[in-house]
Amino acid sequence: MNMSNRTTRKQSVMRMIYFPASVIAVYGIIFAFMPARAFLALKSSGIIFSNIIIPLSLVFILMIVLNLFLKPAYIASFLGKEAGIKGIILSMTAGIISTGPIYAWYPMLKELNEKGAGSSSIAVFLNSRAVKPFLLPIMIAYFGCLYVAILTVFTITGALVAGYIVGALVEKNVIKYTD
Amino acid sequence: MKIAVSADSPDLNAKVGSRFGTSKYFIIVDRDTMDFEAVANPGASTYQGSGVQAVVLVISKKVDTVLTGYCSPTAIGHLTTNGIQVLAGVVGTVGKVVQMYKKGKLQRQPGVKSGLEAGVKIDKTTLIHALSNSVNQIIRLLPVLTGVVLLIGLFSSFISKELLSSVFSGNIAIDTLLGASLGSIFAGSPINSYIIGGEFLEYGISLFAVTALIISWVTVGIVQLPAEIAALGIRFALVRNAVSFALSLIIAFFTVVFFTIIGV
Repeated sequence: MNMSNRTTRKQSVMRMIYFPASVIAVYGIIFAFMPARAFLALKSSGIIFSNIIIPLSLVFILMIVLNLFLKPAYIASFLGKEAGIKGIILSMTAGIISTGPIYAWYPMLKELNEKGAGSSSIAVFLNSRAVKPFLLPIMIAYFGCLYVAILTVFTITGALVAGYIVGALVEKNVIKYTD
Repeated sequence: MKIAVSADSPDLNAKVGSRFGTSKYFIIVDRDTMDFEAVANPGASTYQGSGVQAVVLVISKKVDTVLTGYCSPTAIGHLTTNGIQVLAGVVGTVGKVVQMYKKGKLQRQPGVKSGLEAGVKIDKTTLIHALSNSVNQIIRLLPVLTGVVLLIGLFSSFISKELLSSVFSGNIAIDTLLGASLGSIFAGSPINSYIIGGEFLEYGISLFAVTALIISWVTVGIVQLPAEIAALGIRFALVRNAVSFALSLIIAFFTVVFFTIIGV
């Protein structure tokens, strides 16, 4: 792990703690001046928590299953090995099954890019990450099955379109620059 | 290009070692010339830390690919981070498996397992690793999730529907643009975008805006832009984010239209 990667991770952890700490501090201030409002806010938050606790438990089970069967090395093996439509489909699959924050993937993507993975494949991978199989329970709890199904289809289509456009624009520029 | 194969003896006729960390030798083969070098694995005789020693050895030999019987998830993680591809579940002799790898037949060979199947060996270690990974992922998710839920609680007690309506005007085009912009600025687990989106719907904000927010939350990253530029170049990062922003509007439009038509 290089220094910049470590710094990015550290910054991310700090961001992760600062945000809830700031919200709790705001609650503290409101409690001091408007306790009734603060209780109302807490009650609303409690309702949201109770709505997501069951889907969140399902998310945890799905995470274990994904972690058991999918390793980053395997996901990475999907990227940049095949050209054409097959390569794009593999990138899409890798994006969908990839987990964890995006910053963890940048070093690997950089390396794959240097080893010849095309801009299209990487763009398809990044945009396919919008489909999160292990978060489906939460999404369905909020929006229903039909909406989630339609959104998933269009998200995947959108990722393929993004890959095509990015590939066309980036490669086109490369040719122009090298000429 | 160099391929390292774990082996029982120091030649190309050796059987592929069943475990990456404790194999007696690594045969490092030049993919093009088939020249090879046999290196004794310093971790072969140790019980603890053998995997780490093997990882260090393989990295120091500037190897591109590792072929082995079984490789622990931790070793796979270290090797992959260093740009080394790992194919586990490999059986046969060193010379043969390298030839098969060169022909691209290794993963398709019957009885030869891919990297995925190497992870499927659900022994105690793998299960504990998967559990601890999942607990870590949930723990990393919870602080921001808690913050978001508490913040929504605050919004609900301080911000009225009327106030929010003054921002989200009801004009579908502007609202969708606003939703996509919000999603582009915010980062983190998409679970938060679902919760915020769900609450927005409660406030009467259009599904177009909420859908654009959910899509752009993952596909457009203003906060991560410097990291994306550093990793993949400024041209790629700017083009991808701009294209993704535009697409989040289009996807929102089609999703909601189809949802309305089918849902009726």
